[in-house]
Amino acid sequence: MKIKFFATYRDITKCKEIDISATPDIRALFNLLSDNYGTRMREKLYTPDGQGIGEDAIILVNGRNVLHMGGLDSALKDSDIVSVFPLVAGG
Amino acid sequence: MNGWVGTILRVDLAAKTIKKEPLNLKDARDYVGGRGLGTKYFCDEVDPKVEPLSPENKLIFMSGPLTGTGAASAGRYEVVAKAPLTGTIGAANSGGYFGPELKYAGYDGIIFENSSDSPVYLYINDDIVEIRDANNLWGKTVNEATDMLNGECGESFKVSCIGPTGENGCLFSGIINDKHRAAGRGGLGAVMGSKKLKALAVRGTGSVNVARPEKFMDAIVDARAKLKAHPVGGAGLPAYGSNVLVNIINESGGLPVSNWRDGAYFPDAAAIGGESLAEKYLVKNKGCFGCSISCARVTRVPDGPFKSSGEGPEYEAAWAYGADCGVSDLAAICKANFLCNEYGMDPITLGSTIACAMELSEMGAIPESDIGFKLKFGDPQAIVDLTEAVGKNEGFGKILALGSYRLAEKYGHPELSMSVKKQEMPAYDARAIQGIGLEYATSNRGGCHVRGYVISPEVLGVPFKVDPLVTEGKAGLLKLFQDLTALIDSLGICLFTTFGLGLPEIASQYREAIGSNESDEEILLKGERIWNLEKHFNIAAGVEKDTLPPRLLREKLPEGAAEGRVSELYEMLSEYYELRGWDNEGVPTPDKVEALGIKL
Repeated sequence: MKIKFFATYRDITKCKEIDISATPDIRALFNLLSDNYGTRMREKLYTPDGQGIGEDAIILVNGRNVLHMGGLDSALKDSDIVSVFPLVAGG
Repeated sequence: MNGWVGTILRVDLAAKTIKKEPLNLKDARDYVGGRGLGTKYFCDEVDPKVEPLSPENKLIFMSGPLTGTGAASAGRYEVVAKAPLTGTIGAANSGGYFGPELKYAGYDGIIFENSSDSPVYLYINDDIVEIRDANNLWGKTVNEATDMLNGECGESFKVSCIGPTGENGCLFSGIINDKHRAAGRGGLGAVMGSKKLKALAVRGTGSVNVARPEKFMDAIVDARAKLKAHPVGGAGLPAYGSNVLVNIINESGGLPVSNWRDGAYFPDAAAIGGESLAEKYLVKNKGCFGCSISCARVTRVPDGPFKSSGEGPEYEAAWAYGADCGVSDLAAICKANFLCNEYGMDPITLGSTIACAMELSEMGAIPESDIGFKLKFGDPQAIVDLTEAVGKNEGFGKILALGSYRLAEKYGHPELSMSVKKQEMPAYDARAIQGIGLEYATSNRGGCHVRGYVISPEVLGVPFKVDPLVTEGKAGLLKLFQDLTALIDSLGICLFTTFGLGLPEIASQYREAIGSNESDEEILLKGERIWNLEKHFNIAAGVEKDTLPPRLLREKLPEGAAEGRVSELYEMLSEYYELRGWDNEGVPTPDKVEALGIKL
């Protein structure tokens, strides 16, 4: 499974993308990334209560926002591409 | 007078007369300022059938009641005229420092009438207003003309001007102030050029009063704090500028590629996005008047064939010259964008027009001899050379200067112009993001994203998230965004404030500035009134019906999250008309017009 990091997430990861074995779902992926990259990552990915997707996280799986899938419970597989963005805007 | 400063300048460029008249305060209260009030003056005074480049078209510069105050990001002014590209009401706004300076000189707006027989500029130094000779400025680029005027008038003057393309009637030439900020869309620069008006140079030493200073201060402190605390206004935009969008729109499968022919996922997107710009060419950030966001990019390509410097590109320009032309060379995109600023052109329309020419050329519809070389997608040198050709009004550039619709029509394929009402759509594919298609179709100035930026909820989740693939609920959402945007454009504040502020914060700043006790809803209603007035003008002008290019309605996206989708425009359009109180053809009903208090 490919994980792509964008914008301010790269300040934390110091890389643009990683390849890992698929985690069962988004929650497990968030936990893995938090373990790897520390508190700052956890605080961006999760809401303060740890129960939801954080305000500063837009998570796409194969281009689809996980909010329109199963949220933290969205299932993942090895062929998926997960894109991790902070809250960005422009236009 | 509070918020507004109370005086309109009326300049007859043929008779060379200047009159100062009191602001119509009733209209100002009903139509706010900027886009709304400019449109109200315009509709009252100009025949909708007017030929856009004739002396009878008027050109109106209008600030808003918050312009130049301490309100969040309140540096904007609007230019209104009938637009030559579209034949619609033309309204484009710009930031920088020009708008506030106009108010400090004591004027809410300026109405230009008729045409001069030789080049002139308008000199404003507080009470001193003069029409001055501009023969020496004619033909000069934006940077040259601005520098010359600052040399002649003084460094403290703020300049708004046209480049050579405005003089030459390019249908997407803009009006550029402070060298890099543009009232860019619809070809209002050509209207200014047709009047032989090269520039305005303004210096003001006055101030803008507000009705309830203490409450106003509370309102702006609250608004500014919220803007700064928000992840977008406080971090994302300052760090990467608007071009940060390239990657997320692309990953969402919504970044149109090769004149929207090859789907909406560009494999080389990372090379042209805001992260790459920051890594390779960013010199520093820059902000407009009173803005904490500082989204502008001062950039420099230090070496190589596209060595150049300037500001930008913004997201839309990076897409138009990049993915839409199949180009992944960011240096070439930067240079083409710099040239647009120099010559005074809208890069969305020009990039899209070059993309359209690339498709026509690849299919053999344009003879190679017309262009002068074999034009195809992915050629970085071509985007720079063709931009230069339009800027200098040379060769094939003269045809490109008419925009993609007239180009595609000339070569027998008008359906390949990716435009609505002859104005090119920007950088979001309506097959992957359904609501934005409804916005393109119904925008009162033709293909445009900033009349109702539903990308915010559909893709970015600001202020809440809705599904981009569904059509349900989009009509109501878009109507709300369009009405709120009409209000914002009329107040004189930046649309980017909505990445952090909502109607309550915006309405509060307005109330305390002018001394009103109107509710949020009553203030939002002014936006709906403005929208309906614009629509009325377009109908009277004979503008074509609301639709999208056939490619978006018929050709399915080949990949990505929206694979197999087309725009489902007609699932949304009738509901939209109903919510607006319009008939089945999209015409405001007499009852609606009366309820909004519009006097036609």
